[in-house]
Amino acid sequence: MNMIIQAFNAGESENRNIRPLPASGRRRVIVTTVLLLAGLCLAASLFVAEKAAGKTAKAGRTGGLAPLPEGELAASLHAPFAGGDCGLCHQNQDPKAPGPLLKAVNDICRGCHEDFSHLTERKFRHAAATESCNNCHNPHNARYDKLLVKDVGTLCLSCHTDMKPVTTEARVKHDATIKDKACINCHNSHGTDVEHLLISLPYDLCVTCHGEDKVKDHDGRQLTDFKKLLEENPEHHGPAADKDCSACHNPHGAEYFRLLNQEYPSKFYASYNPETYALCFNCHEESVFEEPRTKTLTLFRDGEVNLHYLHVNKAQRGRTCRACHEVHAAKQAHQVRDGVPYGSKGWILKINYTPTRSGGTCTKTCHDIKGYTNQPADLAAGSQAGR
Amino acid sequence: MRRSALSVCRIAIAAVLAFAPSAEAGFHRADVGDVIENVALPALSGGRQPLLGQAAVNVFVFFKPGQEHSLTTLTKLAGFKEKFAGKSVHWAAVASDRFKLVDIEATVQAAGFSMSVLIDTGDELYGRLGVALCPTIGITDRRHQLVADLSFAKVNYAAVISGHIRHQLQEISSAKLQDILNPTAAVQGGDAKMAHRRLKYAEKLFQAGKHARALENVQASLAKDPNLAAARVLQERILSAQGRSAESVR
Repeated sequence: MNMIIQAFNAGESENRNIRPLPASGRRRVIVTTVLLLAGLCLAASLFVAEKAAGKTAKAGRTGGLAPLPEGELAASLHAPFAGGDCGLCHQNQDPKAPGPLLKAVNDICRGCHEDFSHLTERKFRHAAATESCNNCHNPHNARYDKLLVKDVGTLCLSCHTDMKPVTTEARVKHDATIKDKACINCHNSHGTDVEHLLISLPYDLCVTCHGEDKVKDHDGRQLTDFKKLLEENPEHHGPAADKDCSACHNPHGAEYFRLLNQEYPSKFYASYNPETYALCFNCHEESVFEEPRTKTLTLFRDGEVNLHYLHVNKAQRGRTCRACHEVHAAKQAHQVRDGVPYGSKGWILKINYTPTRSGGTCTKTCHDIKGYTNQPADLAAGSQAGR
Repeated sequence: MRRSALSVCRIAIAAVLAFAPSAEAGFHRADVGDVIENVALPALSGGRQPLLGQAAVNVFVFFKPGQEHSLTTLTKLAGFKEKFAGKSVHWAAVASDRFKLVDIEATVQAAGFSMSVLIDTGDELYGRLGVALCPTIGITDRRHQLVADLSFAKVNYAAVISGHIRHQLQEISSAKLQDILNPTAAVQGGDAKMAHRRLKYAEKLFQAGKHARALENVQASLAKDPNLAAARVLQERILSAQGRSAESVR
């Protein structure tokens, strides 16, 4: 300390333009300098220690692997630590000097947690888990459940930083990303047989919440029971049949209503603009709605008159997909809806779509009874109905 | 006996398929099981090339230039071509002549797709098969019988395509293919797993000579799963080591 004071005084004497500080002020500056240096040294040593512990640059982990400070209440406690069995994982039994680990971290963990060997051998594995269990878990005790070093959401987002704006800033939010178990409502953070570490295929996951009629959305609106809907309506839209809800919805959050990935008309009528149907045209052929006449693009045609074009492609009051089709499932072929809304009193006029060998008919609803034939009569006899 | 069991299985599978909900198919005019007529179409590289080959598996895809899902699909198929290199697989991609050749070429190049690219003049093949979605992948066997028509999926798409190809190449069984199409949920926890974990912990404690705590944990294991035979055996060993053999017999 004296050396520092001398050095400080020496510097002062060399600069005669600066008025000397009073003795108390000099002491304050010196103490502050010493504290700053000590802080820097501590931070550097912590950094070196963490590197030495094999921690890869995972952004958000704090607290290291040491037990919580004595007296702090832990939310979860590892049985060997609680039992003082340091020697089961460390070379020494002494809790004050446990020494190095007996084996690599994951090998030690799997000695008891054998089921996780199986999970991390699945087709899709979480790199953080295969690298080291300690990336997410404290092997002694923790402030969070399952010995996690942070709450699930914060922990996941500390590496998956790109997900934060999607889940928190999206115009349409999905409660599943923040409520209950957050990310692990849908993902298994160790390993799965489904891409993106999903616990199961999207539909099977979604109906765990959307398979009952009590669920409300972020804005408090009642949501459909999709399990019931699909069970009662045998004609399923492709993605629904393939259990791929994420084909149309973004489960993390979206800019479009109902968590849709892209634009899709929310009303019965819309002026035709391909951008309005961006979601549909990811899979469905856009030209079906842009060619007035065709012999190949659609079977919903009368001879060569393209009836999809006729219904949809209008500058004013074009019928949108939902005018005729159910987007998830329907009772009628091609997911043609049961009926269309009429008036302001909630009336539904039945469409009664009837497929025939060479086309189909609709009963009097939007227009008079109309039928269509999409191929010559001689070919129709051998064709499949209504396609 | 075995034959009758097989017949029962076949009937059961047929019944399940018959009553399964119908889904929007990739092809409206060709069902799985139909033989696809082979046609020669103008190729992007010049001349005419067949849609299907004489390989054990034929994979063809209808795609649309500039469409994200088509690009993803072609990229995945390009990867599969390398993965299945040297195996009996014929690959082809089909695009309508409604699109500009330069756009088709650009998409194919962006995907790194180095296979036969065919041009469907006047959407003739598109109309004949009733292609409903883009992209749609058709997979046939050696006899050109359609075994799968796959539309784009965001999840497990590559696994499903690869699974069908490998199944046709007889690299995986039908049961394995079903596992890929309907993967088991990756659930964690449960009493059985907890019981096993406690047992492993008890074993380590027993090895460390901590008999009382080993007994405590093996009993916790048995509380979770009373039928865990290995836990019963360990319990007896611990009791014997504690000189309480009489209790272990009980």
